Amino acid sequence: MALTTARMKFYIDAKRCIECGGCEVACKNENNVPQGIARIRVVTVNEGQPGETNIAVPCMHCSKAPCVAVCPVDALYHRPDGIVHVNKETCIGCGYCLYACPFGAPQFPKGEPFGARGVMDKCTYCAGGPDEPFSEKERKFYGSNRIAEGKLPMCASICSTKALVAGDAEEVAKVVRARVAARGSGGGAWGWETAYPAGPRF
Amino acid sequence: MYVRHRSGTDIALLMGLVHIILANGWEDRKMLEERTYGHEEMREVAGAYTPEVVSDITGVSKEDLHRIAKTLADNRPGTIIWAMGQTQHTNGTAVVRASCLLQLTLGNMGKLGGGANVFRGHDQIQGATDVGADPSSLPGYYGLDEGAWKHWANVWGVSVEYLQSRFKNKKMMEDKGLTVARWYEAVLLDPKELGQDVGVKAVIYWGHSSNSISQMDRLKKALDKVELIVDIDPFVTNTAVLPDRKDGVYLLPAGTIYESIGSATNSNRQVQWRPQIVKPVWEAREDYDILLDFAERLGFKKELAKNSKYGAWKRETLAEDLLREINLGIRGIGYVGQTPERLKRQQNWAHTFQINTQRAEGGPVNGEYWGLPWPCWSDKHPGTPILYDISKSVANGGLPFRLRWGPKAPDEKSLYAAVDIRGSKAPNPDYGPGKAYGTDLTGQPIEEALAEGLAPWGNGRARIKAWNIPDPVPTHREPIHSPRPDLIAKYPTYDDVKNHWRVPTLFKSLQKPDWVKEYPIILTSGRQVEFEGGGASERASWWLVELNDMYCEIHPKLANDYGIKNGGWMIIESPPDLDAKPSMIKVKARVTRRVGPDTVFLPFHWGGFLEGKSLEQKFPEGTVPYGLGESANTVTNYGYDIVTQMQETKTGLCRIKKA
Repeated sequence: MALTTARMKFYIDAKRCIECGGCEVACKNENNVPQGIARIRVVTVNEGQPGETNIAVPCMHCSKAPCVAVCPVDALYHRPDGIVHVNKETCIGCGYCLYACPFGAPQFPKGEPFGARGVMDKCTYCAGGPDEPFSEKERKFYGSNRIAEGKLPMCASICSTKALVAGDAEEVAKVVRARVAARGSGGGAWGWETAYPAGPRF
Repeated sequence: MYVRHRSGTDIALLMGLVHIILANGWEDRKMLEERTYGHEEMREVAGAYTPEVVSDITGVSKEDLHRIAKTLADNRPGTIIWAMGQTQHTNGTAVVRASCLLQLTLGNMGKLGGGANVFRGHDQIQGATDVGADPSSLPGYYGLDEGAWKHWANVWGVSVEYLQSRFKNKKMMEDKGLTVARWYEAVLLDPKELGQDVGVKAVIYWGHSSNSISQMDRLKKALDKVELIVDIDPFVTNTAVLPDRKDGVYLLPAGTIYESIGSATNSNRQVQWRPQIVKPVWEAREDYDILLDFAERLGFKKELAKNSKYGAWKRETLAEDLLREINLGIRGIGYVGQTPERLKRQQNWAHTFQINTQRAEGGPVNGEYWGLPWPCWSDKHPGTPILYDISKSVANGGLPFRLRWGPKAPDEKSLYAAVDIRGSKAPNPDYGPGKAYGTDLTGQPIEEALAEGLAPWGNGRARIKAWNIPDPVPTHREPIHSPRPDLIAKYPTYDDVKNHWRVPTLFKSLQKPDWVKEYPIILTSGRQVEFEGGGASERASWWLVELNDMYCEIHPKLANDYGIKNGGWMIIESPPDLDAKPSMIKVKARVTRRVGPDTVFLPFHWGGFLEGKSLEQKFPEGTVPYGLGESANTVTNYGYDIVTQMQETKTGLCRIKKA
């Protein structure tokens, strides 16, 4: 096996999600996310009509992440494995990333007076943050660091229908290809082109 | 394609499909002629369910009916899957039978990818039914007659006389018991009205949430009146907080599945071994310990454990010994081969099973099916992955229909299948059932049958016409609370039953054509995918509760007609039932097209509110769940299945208003 840097991706299979909310609950439980903040949420389109589709939306950790591009203080950055992190000690809460993100991933504590947003919080791919892995500070600011433990993000680990798949790009692509082949139609890889467009890596 | 039919009209829909399939000659004639009994009668009954008639009853267009039938006929095998949507009706048993009839007509039975498959509500329901949680049978579907008691006395190593000494008399011993759906009536009604001499004085709830049962107001009255309530559960359930009383309620904290050990059986009859992950936390105890204490104090532990062939109820090996007793006693449906040793071995070699065939390839469990699905006739048998598949020998996992009712039907027609099981050595198909295969503890009759490639239970025909239950061939009957007075006249429900599982049960006398005038909207109920049963564990999850509130699904048109907005409060009132008092709940509206404009839907997992009042102060300190809400079953209507007494919670009527 060639030694290359992994490139972490999410595969959101819009044909499999049954809107159980398991990913939302598991994420919150794993990372101790406060109420009102949704690092991942299930969105339902055409509810109750033929073609109803459910899509779990976390941070997609885009290749050319618009949030990283617009952040005026460089609080947002790519790790070498493609995971997008926010440094909460650098973030000034301007909210640019919220407008830039095509997925609505950035979260801000609600209910602050005068529109003050506080610092941004979002899905970390269960990879903690810029601080020392497993440190108390990392845990408090960002939640767990399953990637450093050699595990996948919690949401993908517990997804009962495997609608949410996470892992190295090559491994994930294998799953997508197998599903496309089995269905004889699209892989339902929702958001894939927006998040991971063809071309040079980030 | 997605088709929405009016709630409670399943039989009309299913028989309408049978009608179209027969009319076009799409049926599997070979299956019907060789392996079923009574298909001529089905042709007769189905003849009346023309697309015009069915369309009028169900609300499904004639074109859609034709499209469904054609799709089913063109894509064989196909499967029918349901949960409680078919069973929770006054004619629930007949609905399920109609599904089986449709599958037999299409030739979809006994085939990979075919069948009629029910999804049980949660883990281990199948296992609980198998070991006799059903009050009409001893473990293993042996029934309650003298022979059944004799068999189990033999297994347990006690005398039948001793067992009978635990009952008031022989009649009570052999009489079907009260069901969970109606037990409370035996507290409330005059004992003269009951099928037993005295009323119920004490109730023990064990891992069951009473808010999943209808007639909440009657239940509350009974919980107020009964002398003793014991609630055994990891959580404080609805049962504990519903009654208005200060004493006589005992909560026994029980461990969860992760804190216990033993086997569990899923809907597909697959048995798996569950190891203990952690010891019970806090003051919780394992179910086994609670059970042993009960047995001791109720005074039958000594006698029943004394001669137990497996370990005399030794605590350290109790989980294994219980399964061994099941292996020994439940022979009728083949619980023989799922020994603790084999289940644990499968668990260790789970990776050797093929995901599509569910069969192990190579290794120490080579050829076994995952979970050794019953019937698993011996400790060498691989399990039966698909019921009634005669394309392979019984020893290899094949199975014919059970010859359950003797060689001949009352009309003298043969009940032997006219086709051999593949690989069988029988000179002709008129075989079995093997003598005493269900009660011979040596297992010899089973071994003999398997050696011949035959099933111990013979090679019978599927009964399309079941002569000994109401509606031998399923026919449509309007729900008790029907929105169609014109159809009530044509398709009335059953006559009242005076002693139905020991309590009087109303059908016709409650089916009033006028209900719909005051209660014009169909009320149905069901599950949320992220909740389980009474929802006590989910409502205790801080994270899950954030996603949910108790709600009522309502179509945009209906909501707009009543001035109800998404997220706004609404009131739902049900017709007066036995108490002559209507019930109400106040919940949030969830405006969605998931329901039709004539129907509202309620999830039944909620509790902690009763008719607009919070029960929060009744929870012991520190046990209030994060999520409290009205119980759907406060307003679901009266009605019970004519065979099983399953509650009718899928079709009722209600009226709504903006709160």
